[in-house]
Amino acid sequence: MGRRYLDRVPRQTRIDAFGALHHITASERRLIFGMKSTTLYLLVMLAVLLTGCADHEKKITFWIGGAPQEVDYWEALVDEFERTSGITVDLIRQPSSTDQRKQGLVISLEAEQPDPDVFLMDIVWLQQFFQSGWLQPLDPFFRPDGFSIAPFFKDVVDTVDRYAGHYYALPVFLDIGLLYYRKDLLKKYDYSGPPRTWGDLLQQASKIQAGERSDNPGFNGFLWQGAQYEGLVCTFLEFTASYGGGIMQDGHVRLNRGANTVALEFMQDLIRKYGISPPNTYTDMREEEVRRAFQRGDALFERNWLYAWNLHQKDGSAVKGKIGMTALPHFEEGPSVAALGGWHIGISRHSDMPAKAWELVRFILSSVSQKKLVLNLGWYPGRSDVYTDPDVLKKMPYAGLLREIFSRAVTRPNLPYYDQVSDVIQRTVNGCLAGKQPPAAALHRMQSEIDQIAEIYSR
Amino acid sequence: MKVLKDRYLHSEIRDAYLFLLPMLLFAVVFILLPVLGTFFTSLFREVTFLPSRFSGLDNYLRLTTDRHFWQSVRFTLLFVGVSVAAELVLGLILALILNESIPGRGFVRVAVLIPWAIPIAVSARMWEMIFNFDYGVVNFVVLQLGLADAPLNWLGSATGAFGAIVISDVWKTTPFMTIILLAGLAAIPQDLYKQAMVDGTTFIQRFFYITLPLLQPVLVVALLFRTIDAVRIFDLIYVLTGGGPGGGTTSLSLYAFKYYTSCDFGYGSAISLIVFLIAGLLAVFYVRFTGLREAVK
Repeated sequence: MGRRYLDRVPRQTRIDAFGALHHITASERRLIFGMKSTTLYLLVMLAVLLTGCADHEKKITFWIGGAPQEVDYWEALVDEFERTSGITVDLIRQPSSTDQRKQGLVISLEAEQPDPDVFLMDIVWLQQFFQSGWLQPLDPFFRPDGFSIAPFFKDVVDTVDRYAGHYYALPVFLDIGLLYYRKDLLKKYDYSGPPRTWGDLLQQASKIQAGERSDNPGFNGFLWQGAQYEGLVCTFLEFTASYGGGIMQDGHVRLNRGANTVALEFMQDLIRKYGISPPNTYTDMREEEVRRAFQRGDALFERNWLYAWNLHQKDGSAVKGKIGMTALPHFEEGPSVAALGGWHIGISRHSDMPAKAWELVRFILSSVSQKKLVLNLGWYPGRSDVYTDPDVLKKMPYAGLLREIFSRAVTRPNLPYYDQVSDVIQRTVNGCLAGKQPPAAALHRMQSEIDQIAEIYSR
Repeated sequence: MKVLKDRYLHSEIRDAYLFLLPMLLFAVVFILLPVLGTFFTSLFREVTFLPSRFSGLDNYLRLTTDRHFWQSVRFTLLFVGVSVAAELVLGLILALILNESIPGRGFVRVAVLIPWAIPIAVSARMWEMIFNFDYGVVNFVVLQLGLADAPLNWLGSATGAFGAIVISDVWKTTPFMTIILLAGLAAIPQDLYKQAMVDGTTFIQRFFYITLPLLQPVLVVALLFRTIDAVRIFDLIYVLTGGGPGGGTTSLSLYAFKYYTSCDFGYGSAISLIVFLIAGLLAVFYVRFTGLREAVK
């Protein structure tokens, strides 16, 4: 009786293993319902297997980050690529957490899966991914294609994308640490402009914090990232390098330096001696905590990444139209330094269609797509030629400044065992900020722990 | 006659093995092989960015001098001790209450189970919000009652974070303890209590001379489950504190996981195997020294 009823319904939908809707006709249904369940089961399994194979033969798989506005950008771009090239792309959305994105990639790449073909990598993974043999060299594709890497920031591609004379990845977008400041407050207290040195910053912040606290007891002079996480390595690098120190020297980790001791002491003093950075700097302060506090109007200066600018200038932000951004201050003894972040694109060594994958990479890195990246998403491309584009300059008045900062940004250690090095720096610098250890002892301890790690991973 | 009996018994035993075969296969494929595989990996320098080679017990030797590893061992054991003890006491009290015929008992029995039914990641997020520095309900109550002048950074200190993890875990798993113990209580014959009451015993005497001894086998099984579960604690900590602050709440499983994601599979496997060994030793301890084996026989 059921079957007769179903026959009168001409078309019904079914959902296949991949969640796609299909219409099935009455005759198909008769075929399906008439079969024994075991036969049906076997057929379904066979169909799933066949569809599975067919799928990755035809499509390129591209893994992207999961932030909502980022997904929108990639969807629009990939749509356009599919229309112009005739190549189908499977866009796979990864979580937005950097660590989880890495876990997903490591599992697939270590298992030598043909998918993903193309993926995005955080700048600090590049050396590890290259050494693990997971990336294809991209330069064999350059020449037949007329592709040139000249427009990309040379320092960036030469330090992090190039290994053994070949390019294994290229930058999609870059990020740097900057100083955001409150124009209105500086003016109110008769300062002509933002600080150039850490001494200036200390002086301005102390005075303005003391003045503003009478109205707003939660006001702080200077907010920066001090919690135990990757961001702390970046701020540590910026402070130390702006005194002429740093993490690496001649290809080795050299933390035990006089310049680093002074810089780390200054970081500690900002919280514990001068009190212009709050005590929860070393427990809570990550990018977002810093950004939200500054955006509420509770701080004079903020060290943050580029992304904060657009959010600060949104409607509803308490600091909209009252802020400026500039290069980070430095000590008299050293230059202004920004830590370099950002995401790079590469092709898997196990990709089953590298040539088509390259077409996609090339499309993503074209100046047209990169211009859309900055105009639609507010992210800053890895190509320097975009920064002189009149449309970009009109919408991003700071593009010139950024271009200049990008060209002298410093990278975190480019080591295959960077994860372990970073872990030691995070733990120890954070402990030092919490007052558990004096700077000199902390640096000494980091050096000996990192020496051990280096020995383990280079035997 | 004897021959017939022997043949019969023999075929019985053969059939028993035959019926057990699927389960044995299951155990070999899904339990024994992964453990052996992990052990095998731990004997190699298995780092994605270095050539793989046999390294004997190098990974285990490295463990002996790894300060952070020993810190994780201490944290994990302390966590197991404190949380399992708290769950046992609370679970037993709840079970005793629910075993009495109180009004609305059916409803309360179901209500008690709710925390157990919530996925761990979800309950961890919930507790994270409860302990939050800015908007957490704990700080709200503390400030309203005037117990502190400024909000306290609960998850920001090693002891605070440890306490938060124990509280979340106890809240989540006490129902499991309660339900198992409740089943044990239901199996104790009521006649014994009636007899004891006729003899003029107190409630305390009845608890220590009837309830506890007869509940012991069930109690040990519940403890065994909870202990093994607590040794491999991962998800709650991953979501609630991420192992911080300062690495102070990194459990062994979380520590092993860190090496898996930083591409050192050999060392990660060695740590995983230690987790397995600790859980195994504790299980052996329970079976040998608590009379569980006799009870099962």
